[in-house]
Amino acid sequence: MASWDLSVSVEELGPDAPPLKISVTSELHIGGVILKVVEKSQIKQDWSDHALWWEQKQQWLLKPSWTLDKCGIHADARLCLTPQHKPLRLLLPSGNTLRLKACFSSPVFRCVTGLCKLLNIRHPEELSLLWPVEKKKKKKEKDVEEELYDITRAPLSSSVIPKLASGMPAFFAETPETEAVYKMLAVSQPAPAPETIAKLYRSTTITEKAHINSRWLDSSRSLLQQGVKENDKLLLRYKYYTFHDITPQTDAVRLTQLYEQARWAILLEEIECTEEEMMVFAALQYHIGKVSLTEQFMASCPAMDDLDSALQCLEVKMEGESSADDMLETMTAPELHDYLKIFRPKRLTLKGYKQYWFTFKDTTISYFKSKEESCKEPIQQMNLKGCEVAPDVSVAGQKFCIRLLIPGPEGMNEVYLRCEHEQQYSRWMAACRLASKGKTLADSSFSSEVQSIQSFLAMQKTTPSTNTAQTDESINTHSLVSPRYQKKYKPKQLTPRILEAYQNVAQLSLTDAIQKFLQIWQALPDFGLSYVVVRFKGCRKDEVLGIANNRLIRIDLSVGDVVKTWRYNTMRQWNVNWDIKQVAIEFDGNVNIAFSCVTADCKIVHEYIGGYIFMSTRSREQSNTLNEELFHKLTGGHEAL
Amino acid sequence: MDDIDAMFSDMLQEMDLLTQSLGEEAESAPLPKPSTIPGPQEMNFSVGFTDFNASLHNLEDNDLDALMADLVADISATEEKFATEKDTSKGSAPVAPIPSQPQSNFSLPASNDTSRHATFSNSIAAPPPPPASKPSKDELEEQVKADKIKLALEKLKEAKVKKLVVKVEITDGSSKTLMVDERQTVRDVIDNLFEKTHCDCNVDWSVCETNPDLQTERGFEDHENIVEPLSTWTRDTENKVIFQEKKDKYEVFRNPQNFYMWKKEKQSLKDMKEKDKEQLLEENFCGASVIVPDLEGVLYLKEDGKKSWKQRYFLLRASGLYYSPKGKTKASRDLVCLVQFDNVNVYYCKEYRIKYKAPTDHCFILKHPQIQKESQYIKFLCCDDEWIMTLWVTGIRIAKYGKQLYDNHKAAVRKAAGSATWANRTIQASSSPSTPSPTPKAKAANGHAPQPAVETKGSSNQTSFPPPPPSMETLPPPPPDPMLPPPPPAPPSTTKVNKFPPPPQFPQSSFPPPPMDDLPPPPPPPPEDSELPPDFLPPPPPFFSSCGGEALPPPPPDPMASLPPPPPAPQNFASSGGAPPPPPPPPPPPAPAPAANKPAGSIRKVAPPPPKRTTPQLAAPSGGNLMSELMTAMQKKRTQ
Repeated sequence: MASWDLSVSVEELGPDAPPLKISVTSELHIGGVILKVVEKSQIKQDWSDHALWWEQKQQWLLKPSWTLDKCGIHADARLCLTPQHKPLRLLLPSGNTLRLKACFSSPVFRCVTGLCKLLNIRHPEELSLLWPVEKKKKKKEKDVEEELYDITRAPLSSSVIPKLASGMPAFFAETPETEAVYKMLAVSQPAPAPETIAKLYRSTTITEKAHINSRWLDSSRSLLQQGVKENDKLLLRYKYYTFHDITPQTDAVRLTQLYEQARWAILLEEIECTEEEMMVFAALQYHIGKVSLTEQFMASCPAMDDLDSALQCLEVKMEGESSADDMLETMTAPELHDYLKIFRPKRLTLKGYKQYWFTFKDTTISYFKSKEESCKEPIQQMNLKGCEVAPDVSVAGQKFCIRLLIPGPEGMNEVYLRCEHEQQYSRWMAACRLASKGKTLADSSFSSEVQSIQSFLAMQKTTPSTNTAQTDESINTHSLVSPRYQKKYKPKQLTPRILEAYQNVAQLSLTDAIQKFLQIWQALPDFGLSYVVVRFKGCRKDEVLGIANNRLIRIDLSVGDVVKTWRYNTMRQWNVNWDIKQVAIEFDGNVNIAFSCVTADCKIVHEYIGGYIFMSTRSREQSNTLNEELFHKLTGGHEAL
Repeated sequence: MDDIDAMFSDMLQEMDLLTQSLGEEAESAPLPKPSTIPGPQEMNFSVGFTDFNASLHNLEDNDLDALMADLVADISATEEKFATEKDTSKGSAPVAPIPSQPQSNFSLPASNDTSRHATFSNSIAAPPPPPASKPSKDELEEQVKADKIKLALEKLKEAKVKKLVVKVEITDGSSKTLMVDERQTVRDVIDNLFEKTHCDCNVDWSVCETNPDLQTERGFEDHENIVEPLSTWTRDTENKVIFQEKKDKYEVFRNPQNFYMWKKEKQSLKDMKEKDKEQLLEENFCGASVIVPDLEGVLYLKEDGKKSWKQRYFLLRASGLYYSPKGKTKASRDLVCLVQFDNVNVYYCKEYRIKYKAPTDHCFILKHPQIQKESQYIKFLCCDDEWIMTLWVTGIRIAKYGKQLYDNHKAAVRKAAGSATWANRTIQASSSPSTPSPTPKAKAANGHAPQPAVETKGSSNQTSFPPPPPSMETLPPPPPDPMLPPPPPAPPSTTKVNKFPPPPQFPQSSFPPPPMDDLPPPPPPPPEDSELPPDFLPPPPPFFSSCGGEALPPPPPDPMASLPPPPPAPQNFASSGGAPPPPPPPPPPPAPAPAANKPAGSIRKVAPPPPKRTTPQLAAPSGGNLMSELMTAMQKKRTQ
């Protein structure tokens, strides 16, 4: 059998070293080739992760038992012996960059699975990788080397990753640095500076949103095949908006990153919301940021959870036992009294605020001419249950007013209460808020309500130097809203509006707040739509196809209206003609549609549709087994066949 | 012990205060059951004061008695609850049931001292203190003391539970009167009404409120607590509560496609497969967040305070109702929020074309539930046709209540299928009997404390009340009723009440237990009493319907057959005001049963349907003592 020379370059020899020439026959199998190359290189190291990469064909030679002949390799082939796992810079949804080793040889789907295993994110099928937006380098952009979290030393994701009781992969516990990395992963990031948002922000038309989807990597091919190089930067994002079986106890990282992705989608207006919704999102961000600082990721530790619940239990018990005393004390239920000023805009008078002696008991405010007359009949009583409470505050102007809208049979009565100073205001405000929800001053949340009001007032006090990101006390409210609202409102205008929304969420725990955020996000009308610009068969103009977890929608590009909706459950089949790049879908009732894709490869559309079908096959019972084969069958296209 | 004494004296003081405030509205108390007289009368109304104290205002002495009786019943219920706390997920139920029945008796204007006595005696008799005698260690005493305190506290709590008497009109022109307490949900009330009427119990039955001023109607959602909205009605309200079928209540769950795919032609959606419907529901109601139908379209909006209606393009989102201002796009950022749903409810309106010159009669409004009259704070909207209105109203309900609506529907379907409920109830009932025992000592303690308190108040000497133990059995139900009297506030109702022949009512209420004996089927009702407060008159329902408007006479006969007491009992009640002696007669018949039962509480429970009545009583003993003290106090006062 004739032997011939095969040239194989070995990375470890250096970039400039000439390829090694080894003598082979066509019968030699790939394993043998590697063995020969290693011998010839005379380097002693662990070669187990190395494999041969065939440059011209852009493919890996991963089957050691295949012969060169079978692989179709001849003397002109240039092969490269290279590690299958290479470092990659991964831009997380939170905006942090993580340097870690990713598998460059297996399909992206499996590569992501490995990454997620490493990062302790369940249901990796919901995520994928995409290219970052190319930055047009104006001038000499100061390459501010971003903070990089390096975990390249972590064990390769192909191996079994031992986990601690907390669910944290064991290697994160090895050094303080790696622990910090895990904390970064599992705890939401502080609010970004407003300029950071503004810098990332770009007005997003639907077409531009469609372009984002052209950047997804192909799930069925490997990173190296798609031109990803060592140390390249890729984004890790949730791609399929159907989040299976989220359990906060074990999903700390998953939940946090999901929250981060949702938050940035809101801040950058990748998904649109109304002003009212923006204020709720802002309030939740503020709250989550604040609670994260205190709770840290203690909450993510099940042991701690147990302890917590045990403590709570105990607390409840104690409460139960002490309830006798408490009840007795209700005879002397907590009350507030002060001289306050009241103003009722309803009466057409310019009298303005008048001072009275006010008492707050249970859920009722009563006022009297003076303290001395407080034992007599009050001038008026107002039961605040069910009322609306809004702040009317200016710290700079030393104006501390509470606006009450008290429902009555005739309508709502508007009343303003003016307090003298911050302390007084925060107590009365807290009492009003609780009362509006039917709670009394005796409620345990009273003091925390007072505190949260005070801390919010603090936001107004610190003159927001635009650069400040969130520290524990002060925050620039511009960090919580999209640039549109940064322009529309000054921070001090935003504060009361966010505060208003905040009162409904202030008592949530960290995970509850995150889940609430996600819920509202998922309830937005445009949630979960991935856009692609397409041209329908027989049409002359571009239109937009929106792909969601249960339906396809056709959107008129000029008006933005939804023209048509097709649901997957009426879908009979879909085909891709890879030659003319056309997707054809047949629905029940002989409805056929076909379109070619303009902004994205039709493989991406195909993968989206197949992916969502795959997601819908997941069942609760086998929530942790991943049917990779099925995924590829549904999304692979011609390569899978 | 001092603590307890103090507590009781406190409680007594409270009672005193209450009595003091009773002066004015003496006669308004009774809420007769209209049903007795099928006649043409109009039945307005029903709900009373916003709160318990307020309702007390109008009571007279006899009412006070009734109240006391009610309290007794309440306490007994509380004790039960207390004892069985663990298995009382349905906690709300225990208290209410008992009171309701008695209610009818007491509410009558006639003073029923006799009945009161009877109840007292019952409580006294019941107390047999089993536990106390057993171990007499310090620890135990401590324990007992703690228990007493807890119990007393529970009682105080119970006493604070707000209750209302509600007259519910039924579409066939009849009506039912119920007592509801603030812990009851609309679902409980519906179940209760199912038992009282002969309707088919399908999921569409709803309890609705109407407001003639605003010409609105709203079906309460099953999870709402009914007392809350009703207690915001004004005293002179003409509002009504109606029990009727509302097709749109759960239509969205029968045909979700019509709501979630409303843009498609309805015709094409007609034949949607059940499986697809289910999937649609699953997608929209079972995800992390409920998806609100993506409604949008032109509606007419009546501008604040103006008379004109303007067309606007509205969009429904989970966060509220929005419209796009003129000249702007439908993009989210440009939308103006008309209203968010946290503080408002949505109401259907009638005949707004005339009332407000609306473009069509298909109008709905959004308002705070407390607003009862026209106001600038009400949002008026008008739709082109009825279906569009249904779409929006349903959409808004989904946005407001979310998954709760879905759960309500599931529960309603389960109920409609009928079944398990009975079994559960019976089980609970059996568990309750043991409760009374823990508090034997408390009684004694109570006894001491209360007296002094009374005296301080200035009430006259204490008189002992006749303790006819046997009577208890028969009478127990009545005590709870007293609570009800407060509602009478509505003047029209009172007058009507008077018209009604009180006697018929009495028999009904007092008899319910006896009928049970007669009729094997009733078994379910008894359990209800113990468990579910909502069903005040579990036993009566069957009777009610059967006896209905005119058939009052029949009920008595039934009881008679089974239980001798029934006939006399009614008489007593009726005459109670005048003639105390009669009470004794009724007791005798029941007495035998109780006596036998008392020794072994558990045994009693085992007993067939009739026992149920007894169970509450048994539970009551401890409460009874406390209450008895109060009663004595009251008596003194009266005598003075």
